[in-house]
Amino acid sequence: MTNDTPAKASWWGDFDFACGQSKQWSIGHLTFIVQRLKNEWLIAYERADDYENNGINWRVIDTDLSAESLTERSRYVFQGTGGLLRITPKLADRPIISRPLTPFNLTAGEEVTLYVSSSLWLEIAIVSAQQTIALKEIAIQRPSDTWFGPSTLEGELCYASTSHCRLNLEELPQRPHRAITPVHIHNTADTTLTLERLNLPAPLLTLYTSASGQLWTPQITLTREKDGDIAELKIDNTPPEDAEATSQLSTPRNNTDSNVLFRAFNAVFS
Amino acid sequence: MNEFWADIVTFLSSDKIWNVSRAIILVIVGALVAKLVSSALIKTAGEKMDNHRAMLLKRGSYYLILILFLITALRELGFNLSVLLGAAGVFTVAIGFASQTSASNLISGLFLMAERSFSIGDVIRIGTTTGEVLTIDLLSVKLRTFDNLFVRIPNETLIKSEVTTLTRFPIRRLDILLGVAYKEDLKKVRSVLDEVSNKNPLCLEEPKPLYIFQKFGESSLDIQYSVWAKREKFLELKNSIHEEIKNAFDEHAIEIPFPHRTLYTGSETEPFPIQTVTQNKSP
Repeated sequence: MTNDTPAKASWWGDFDFACGQSKQWSIGHLTFIVQRLKNEWLIAYERADDYENNGINWRVIDTDLSAESLTERSRYVFQGTGGLLRITPKLADRPIISRPLTPFNLTAGEEVTLYVSSSLWLEIAIVSAQQTIALKEIAIQRPSDTWFGPSTLEGELCYASTSHCRLNLEELPQRPHRAITPVHIHNTADTTLTLERLNLPAPLLTLYTSASGQLWTPQITLTREKDGDIAELKIDNTPPEDAEATSQLSTPRNNTDSNVLFRAFNAVFS
Repeated sequence: MNEFWADIVTFLSSDKIWNVSRAIILVIVGALVAKLVSSALIKTAGEKMDNHRAMLLKRGSYYLILILFLITALRELGFNLSVLLGAAGVFTVAIGFASQTSASNLISGLFLMAERSFSIGDVIRIGTTTGEVLTIDLLSVKLRTFDNLFVRIPNETLIKSEVTTLTRFPIRRLDILLGVAYKEDLKKVRSVLDEVSNKNPLCLEEPKPLYIFQKFGESSLDIQYSVWAKREKFLELKNSIHEEIKNAFDEHAIEIPFPHRTLYTGSETEPFPIQTVTQNKSP
């Protein structure tokens, strides 16, 4: 038997738990249960293979189900447990590689803004007056691994995005468990850039939420100055213009200098 | 008897005993200083180095300091070093012949350390032995195999034979060899395999999985399907993807055939007789 808790505007934030209480989150493919006992927190999760998007993207409910009912379980033992739990959305811990539906060419001097959607992780933490202790991070949808580099010897391990780079924001499905990043590409080199794959440096980005509950990252600008796959990366300090009334949710996993050169495009090898 | 005691007293009262004592003290102090200095070097500079370099630094500094103290000790004993080195040259030839194997291992060890084809912590395969490198010493390399056995491999063997370092590059390719029945549509087989690799998050999206039609086998169409994985996840992928391919083939009714044998009794012979047995229940 399940009871709906008072409606909350989002699946993240602070949640109160009475001793013995369980709550269940369903976000896209992911279902997880958090249960508070006298001396321990139980976290269990499962990802459905055959998830059908029936319009309900997420819900949080009180449940009688025990954490034992899901496959991936972990226990966190304390002398005593407090009643406040915090769920924070986080961006991926590795760069994300996206592709346009069909590769396109950006001629010399041209510039364009693409919209890239990336899957999120969530951090479960317990909050007390003194400190916040992170218990676990769970990927809402585990993206496939991929390799981004000019050869199998040189490169880095990334995640492959299941969505595509879009030219129009309207074409991108807006889902509350994915973050949207505007990517502005400026080709100042003399040669045409054929964009087949795009490297999104997710660990360097801040996460914002708009008033409607959509998650955003700041706009990044990639300036390609020379022939090749290398571009100068600039990350805005402010939320993107497309998002309205935003507030910051989480800080970047890694810090970087404001302008860095990195391998941003393609890196497809045979 | 008295003469013996007199000799001992003369020896003890001479300078020689002090020289010998000084030489022994020098060697002991040398060993201590060498150990202290090499340990201190590792503590200060070792954090920035990998295990292999740290070991080279430790051993190099230890032996260098010890040799310096030994030379000083020999001088204390009154040896003329230039004569000693000359004599050593002659002895080296003799010792070289006598200890060919050890000398060969020693030289091989130096080359191995300089070549850096693997370092401590790497997983290597030599012949049929696969294991993690524990130490690279002057005479041998010590491995820990995955069934937790300690294996000592002489350096000479390593220099002479083929050594595979499994942990050199960050990604690895898994070659899956499979056979499907002759009746199957290969396009469908390929699309099912692609679907399986797409769904498995451990299977890298790029480099793309490789599909190779190997041959028309005796009982099956032989295919090689190669997928890439992060090195640390290689075994996990190997276990999961084989199971998923089997399940997907079962789901799409793609047959993985057993070896077939067609018996031919020659054109002149009659066909094989077939006997049908029915169970008659007598009233």
